[in-house]
Amino acid sequence: MATTAENFPVHSEDHGHDADHKPGFFARWFMSTNHKDIGTLYLIFAIFAGIIGGAISGIMRAELAEPGIQVLGGVVTMLGGEAAFDQNLHMWNVLITAHGLIMVFFMVMPAMIGGFGNWFVPIMIGAPDMAFPRMNNISFWLTVAGFCSLLFSMFVPGGTGNGAGTGWTVYAPLSTSGSAGPAVDFAIFSLHLAGAGSILGATNFITTIFNMRAPGMTLHKMPLFVWSVLVTAFLLLLALPVLAAAITMLLTDRNFGTTFFDPAGGGDPVLYQHLFWFFGHPEVYIMILPGFGMVSQIVATFSRKPVFGYLGMAYAMVAIGVVGFIVWAHHMYTVGLDVNTKMYFTAATMVIAVPTGVKIFSWIATMWGGSLEFKSPMVWSLGFIFLFTVGGVTGVVLANGGVDDALHDTYYVVAHFHYVLSMGAVFSLFAGFYYWFPKMSGKMHSEFLSHLHFWTFFIGVNVIFFPQHFLGIQGMPRRYPDYTEAYAYWNEVSSIGYIIMAGSMVIFFVNLAYAFLAGRKAGDNPWGEGATTLEWTLSSPPPFHQFETLPVIEDHHDYHDHRPATA
Amino acid sequence: MSTVALEQKNLKVAIYAFAGALAMLGLGYAAVPLYDLFCRVTGFGGTTQQATEADADIAARLAQSAGAREISIRFDATTAADMPWTFKPAQVTDKVQIGQRDLAFYTAKNNSNVPITGTATFNVEPEQTGAYFNKIQCFCFTEQTLQPGEEIRMPVLYYVDPAILQDENAKDVEQITLSYTFHKAAQGAAVQGEKAAQKPES
Amino acid sequence: MNFGDLPKGAMRTITTLWMAAMLALAPQVAAAQDVAAADTVEVADASADVAATTEAADAGAGYTPLGPDMIKGQPEPGAIDFQPQYTDDGEFAYKMHTYLLVPVITVISLFVLGLLLWVVVRYRRAKNPVPSKTTHNTLIEVVWTLVPVLVLVAIAIPSITLLARQYETPPEDAVTIKAIGYQWYWGYAYPDNGGFEVISNMMPEEDAIAAGLPAQLAVDNRMVVPANTPLRIQTTGADVIHSFAVPSLWFKIDAVPGRLNERLLTIKEPGIYYGQCSELCGARHGYMPIAVEALPRDQWEAWVLSKGGTIGEEAEIAVEDAQSAEDAAEAGDAEGVAAANAAAAAE
Repeated sequence: MATTAENFPVHSEDHGHDADHKPGFFARWFMSTNHKDIGTLYLIFAIFAGIIGGAISGIMRAELAEPGIQVLGGVVTMLGGEAAFDQNLHMWNVLITAHGLIMVFFMVMPAMIGGFGNWFVPIMIGAPDMAFPRMNNISFWLTVAGFCSLLFSMFVPGGTGNGAGTGWTVYAPLSTSGSAGPAVDFAIFSLHLAGAGSILGATNFITTIFNMRAPGMTLHKMPLFVWSVLVTAFLLLLALPVLAAAITMLLTDRNFGTTFFDPAGGGDPVLYQHLFWFFGHPEVYIMILPGFGMVSQIVATFSRKPVFGYLGMAYAMVAIGVVGFIVWAHHMYTVGLDVNTKMYFTAATMVIAVPTGVKIFSWIATMWGGSLEFKSPMVWSLGFIFLFTVGGVTGVVLANGGVDDALHDTYYVVAHFHYVLSMGAVFSLFAGFYYWFPKMSGKMHSEFLSHLHFWTFFIGVNVIFFPQHFLGIQGMPRRYPDYTEAYAYWNEVSSIGYIIMAGSMVIFFVNLAYAFLAGRKAGDNPWGEGATTLEWTLSSPPPFHQFETLPVIEDHHDYHDHRPATA
Repeated sequence: MSTVALEQKNLKVAIYAFAGALAMLGLGYAAVPLYDLFCRVTGFGGTTQQATEADADIAARLAQSAGAREISIRFDATTAADMPWTFKPAQVTDKVQIGQRDLAFYTAKNNSNVPITGTATFNVEPEQTGAYFNKIQCFCFTEQTLQPGEEIRMPVLYYVDPAILQDENAKDVEQITLSYTFHKAAQGAAVQGEKAAQKPES
Repeated sequence: MNFGDLPKGAMRTITTLWMAAMLALAPQVAAAQDVAAADTVEVADASADVAATTEAADAGAGYTPLGPDMIKGQPEPGAIDFQPQYTDDGEFAYKMHTYLLVPVITVISLFVLGLLLWVVVRYRRAKNPVPSKTTHNTLIEVVWTLVPVLVLVAIAIPSITLLARQYETPPEDAVTIKAIGYQWYWGYAYPDNGGFEVISNMMPEEDAIAAGLPAQLAVDNRMVVPANTPLRIQTTGADVIHSFAVPSLWFKIDAVPGRLNERLLTIKEPGIYYGQCSELCGARHGYMPIAVEALPRDQWEAWVLSKGGTIGEEAEIAVEDAQSAEDAAEAGDAEGVAAANAAAAAE
């Protein structure tokens, strides 16, 4: 179908008087059942959590800028504790724990699934809203409650000092007999709440995507972003309950005398690690798959060309999701696995590189022969593709069980997962943000500031994380607040990178302020004829209730045109 | 589709989804006994096997006819940080014919001035030999209670299954380490432990 | 490559004040270390010879601790490569990483970067205003699925070989050392040499610097082992999980409470090899380094004797004889016991 931007199809539905009728402030934002409002709440929440998580990493980089313990005492005092040698060191563990949990559960997941998923999945499939609008609201407030519980845990005793200092993995027995006081209980409770919210959310997405597609929107015509959220929802649904079981057992081990993971009662701490990583590995795909989906939409839009190998792209995500469940023990290469187990997990882990490679090459093939326009979402997506590749290939190195003996729990691992998350997931988040911001707000952001944000952020994160490969290869262990003089050089470089990155984030917020205060009004489709998904057929911002008459997607024998038939 | 029909259909999918989540939650808990079973059956992680006298007789005959070699066994003892016992093997290493029963002793002494019930965890190294290391009797099967200052000798009756010689990964193992760690038994179990340990072996 | 002596940035001056605060806290480290040692039952030589390594000789038993000139495994300032490897497996793994993995991942990354730059330049809107509509090409899709598979197979083959080598089991006469992780120090037990245990705490920073040793890596009592001899390294944790790791030996194995782990380690030459605890174990996780001191066999034996340990089979056999006598006396208690003793008597 060769529609051009000039005669972009008119809205297929007629917005009656009710379409823009909004409830009062409190009812709208605190008891919201509107998927777009809940999406907005999730995005605001994720940005807020991201600021806190990012500030914590700032404290960490300041501490690591040179050998010795410099800033932790100040942090302990600031949080109302009493600075002392062990308490300061414990604060370090609290900070790494909080940074990890916040970024995973309260920044990336809420932004991708709660934010963009809520906003655009119903619109992209031509649905008026999510299947269970009230449950959607519960999901959000559970996540907020979880975040509060995590923050609260930093102010109550957790063993050596205030806060839960167990790492985001909460390994037993450090998290059971090794951490007295209620902090770890609150941290675990926080995961329960966030996990429950995510399971409800996943159920909602699965139901919405299965049942509420507009007529003609078959599964194989769904935009790839919807596919990515569908696969993610299944991963959430199957992985999170295992985490819930594992951390509930931790909780009862801590408080009610059970011995699931306590060798004194016949338990096994290694079992906790198996359970955690059975959840934990799918979790990393939960964080990146929606990013894959967003990048697919954006690359196609700005190449003015349909996604190359649509079915391959969709089923590569399914394959990644499935294989993601059978590779967990590559996080546990040094716990004392036998040789056959280690060989199996080495081989299985490397298999994941194949569907991931298919995706990378398909994105490039989408651009091949296209007519590329380098708007802000596109440059962030290009950055994503390259940096995710770099993070991916170091993953292949780490997959080798024998090589991992030298790299396990070193900064090489830190560098690896920040390349795939802090650059992979976060770059796709910014790409998606700039892509959909005009649609969500009705205002255009500054392309200049967005590009400036991109380049400074690109340089900043690379300066932070690339040297960490060298530190890890030299043997610097993770989760160390202090190090021997030899590691000083690259740590200092890494901390300088943080300053660049932090400055870059200032540009982001300036851009936001600019857009809201002085931004041009966004048209229905600011990105031109390449933008073919349904959200671009609506006004910017879309009406409070969209698609009161369902759009009909005609069969064009074309996977890539999701627009309703022109009347 | 009417709204009511859609709501019904949605409810159905949601129930399936919740059922899936619930099943995974159940699987999370089921992992505890399943992992235990898996380890005991396959010897995963160096988990030893439990055998009867009859099994041992068969193994001994098999080994006899195959002319199995000797293998060295190392006995290792650890006490948890909060355990005021001295716990050590009576001998550090021993040589046994593969397939033949052997008896080894550990000694434990309660250095505190209160009775303490202990329970032992165990595994063998290298991990791949777990499936072939059979215990017929072991102090680790029950809890042990020691009065203040009391010292006991505790036996382990074991044999190495001749099937180890057929396992590519395990056949060249020259020495198997049998390791025990004594922990303070969990509070609730202590009473039962006292009963179980009324008859300290030999 | 060494970037270490490039001038330091401005951040150094900003944080100098904090350094002063840190130095004020430093004595607390030293005080806390000694307390830890007293907890253990089997301490053969707790803090009696703290910092003995810096002294010339130990108890006149013919053992001289290696000096800073013998440090072989430690991080280098600004380095970007692995520490030099002193085990055969380490060398194998290092070669696999340097000559296979690094080239492969570099080529892949540059290939993707090259393709991206190419499409950015060639297919920019100004240059290519009319996009093609190609969305399928079965051949290329098969190629980019199969070629990565082949690359991965090429990586998997040496990878599996490496694993098989690392899992070779120690010979019967390997020297056994049991590394026990405590919060927050290491204990090294020598069960074949009389069962003494050496407690190893981090050396206070000033002492380390005074002795010319790297701060935060140097310890008071090293784990002394014979070089060129197979070592059976066994690890366990006394409280929480720790991890025994030495980068220059390509060695890392967790110390898990309630279970024993074991790996073979053969250090090729005498020297000092530093490592650090590599599993989060609480507040002072960063302050429980590992120092392995490999000595020629005779010097290692001298060290064992200086610790009150025993060398060779004599001691062990004596124990065993006494043991079988005792066993015989107790025969007849149970059928199983009798059978087992009969077997023992047949030896």
